[in-house]
Amino acid sequence: MTFRTWCIAGCMVVAGFVGILESGATDVFLEATRPDFQKIPLGVFGIQNSGGPEWLGGRIEEVLKADIRRSLVFSLVDLPSIGIKVRDVGPGPHPAFKQAKENGVSVLVWGKAGAKDGDKEADVSMDGFVYDGESDEIVGGKRYVGSSSVVRLMAHRFADELVFRYTGEPGIARTKIAYVSEQGTARELFVMDYDGYEPRQLTSDGFLNLMPRWSPDRRFLVFTAYRNRNTQDIDMIELATGKRWTIVSLPGLNITPALSPDGNFLAFASSHEGNSELYKLDTRTKAMQRMTTHASGDLSPSWAPSGRELAFASDRSGGPQIFLMSADGTNVRRLTFEGDYNAAPAWSPRGNWIAYVCRTPKKEYKLCLITPDGQKRVQLTAGPGVEDSPSWSPDGRHLVFSSTVDGKSQIYMINADGKDLERVTFTGTHNSAPAWSPAS
Amino acid sequence: MRATLSQWSIPMLAGLLLVTMPGCSKKSVQSGGDTQSSQSGMGKGTPGAGGTGGSGDSTGGGVSSNFPDTSLAGRDGSAGLRGLDKNPGEERVNGGTMMAKLDPSQSGRQMDEIRSEQAAADAAGLRDVFFAYDSFAISEEGRQSLSRDAEWIKSNPGAQLKIEGHCDERGTSAYNLVLGEKRAKAARNYLVELGVSANRLGVVSYGKERPFCKDHSESCYAQNRRGHVVVKTGK
Repeated sequence: MTFRTWCIAGCMVVAGFVGILESGATDVFLEATRPDFQKIPLGVFGIQNSGGPEWLGGRIEEVLKADIRRSLVFSLVDLPSIGIKVRDVGPGPHPAFKQAKENGVSVLVWGKAGAKDGDKEADVSMDGFVYDGESDEIVGGKRYVGSSSVVRLMAHRFADELVFRYTGEPGIARTKIAYVSEQGTARELFVMDYDGYEPRQLTSDGFLNLMPRWSPDRRFLVFTAYRNRNTQDIDMIELATGKRWTIVSLPGLNITPALSPDGNFLAFASSHEGNSELYKLDTRTKAMQRMTTHASGDLSPSWAPSGRELAFASDRSGGPQIFLMSADGTNVRRLTFEGDYNAAPAWSPRGNWIAYVCRTPKKEYKLCLITPDGQKRVQLTAGPGVEDSPSWSPDGRHLVFSSTVDGKSQIYMINADGKDLERVTFTGTHNSAPAWSPAS
Repeated sequence: MRATLSQWSIPMLAGLLLVTMPGCSKKSVQSGGDTQSSQSGMGKGTPGAGGTGGSGDSTGGGVSSNFPDTSLAGRDGSAGLRGLDKNPGEERVNGGTMMAKLDPSQSGRQMDEIRSEQAAADAAGLRDVFFAYDSFAISEEGRQSLSRDAEWIKSNPGAQLKIEGHCDERGTSAYNLVLGEKRAKAARNYLVELGVSANRLGVVSYGKERPFCKDHSESCYAQNRRGHVVVKTGK
């Protein structure tokens, strides 16, 4: 229904994505660096204030522009720099459309924001409009209402609608990042918006809560916790209620839980049979299957988006290295051979890359990417700072990770092509273990 | 690295306001919270009487019988987006329903227990064992420390001990948990060699998550690579 009048650029974008999905592992490129990848030029006239709080329009516009820039689907055109300085565009056609189109701007976005008429509870509203240069018409808009505390979310939602219209994908502007934040000597779970705003604390048990991972439906996190500080468990927490309970409490280590993309299996590492091995729990039958058998430590399972394979870390070759195996534990093969310390694998939601922490010859812990066939390897970050816990955005275009580059461990975002490094957390003494939520 | 979102400052703990769903509004379309829209839970398993704080909800096999359906079955992939509309209807945007209930009393209790645990270890004069980078081998110095610990343990037959494995900040959180367990087990195994009964010695790995020293220096790292021997005071 939203695919009626496609612009050429939009079709090219989707064709590019399909190409990557079908190309398998043999001939993949970072999509944003593909020579045929063209971002769609988009200009924002502005979000005009009409009666609401003074900051309202400007706030929405700022959030919307940041979302558009991070979408990597659009390139944000600075309209004043091409001589277009219009702010008061109404719901109808405007002479500036033609001017923008002649300057190569494919999509124009504008809107207004204000107090919702006659509403006693001081709700605010946002109207957004979209002009599509290819079809030369105002293709539609959105009208949102809500409390003034959700204006960022209105902008995020509008940004995701734009991405959805031009790619058929839901966008990442409403995604969340779960992470661990130091509170005194404790480490507690938090969740924030993908851009670092709206952090919320989920646990407060005063001890260690580590390495959260999302359920496919975004309703739960699984993570490692410590019962009475002496015993390690894997717990689950429901975000809507804060209800929390233990799902795995085997003797010894219970770490690095990861739910399969279909939600039917929980992979995790446990040392209850001696050393750290990988197990797979069927979440429906509760049957547990051991996936690895080796005298060395196996940990950090990461599911391929197909659910048919997993990447994991193992020190069976000396220092930790990345290995792959089928989901039934067969067909184990080593993936990384460069360097003597490679760990914390994260399989991209598009399937074409596995991100991991690689130790460089200078003994720096940085981020690397490798294709599942091992044919291409890229070091993504460089310089000082210990990097850890890479986690992919659901669109596969970004990674979030922790780094000590600014001293204390904080959370950062980077494009999959190594560009646009952006710090996401700014407060607190230690923020780590970010996990990017699914999009849905 | 450059901060591009430098202007914001958010009170991390502020409130955790329960952003509840506004009752309902006339004819507007509920677009759902953008985190956990209530309709997404329809027809799905929800956790039963789980309780909080990992209270025993697990079955005898160490695996909980309480596992909700977290699959995406029945979802359309649009993630709640309705598409642009030439005559857009009003969509109500909610802040989501994320509202963990925090219980600060538990945090305070932990702090008290950690202090009494540490005090008991200090009173007993227990010594820690330190490790080289990336290593879980017990050094000669470590053997001497553990020998002294073994004497105390044998002369205090009622005491239960816990050996915590710790690591420095280098390397990944996950691999350091494995390394920490190796260190704690190496210390335990040596104490057992010295004649301490294994069932008096608990082992737990804290990886790099509870550092003794927080500087980014080798002297600090050396302090953090340890098997920390404490007297168990809790359950």
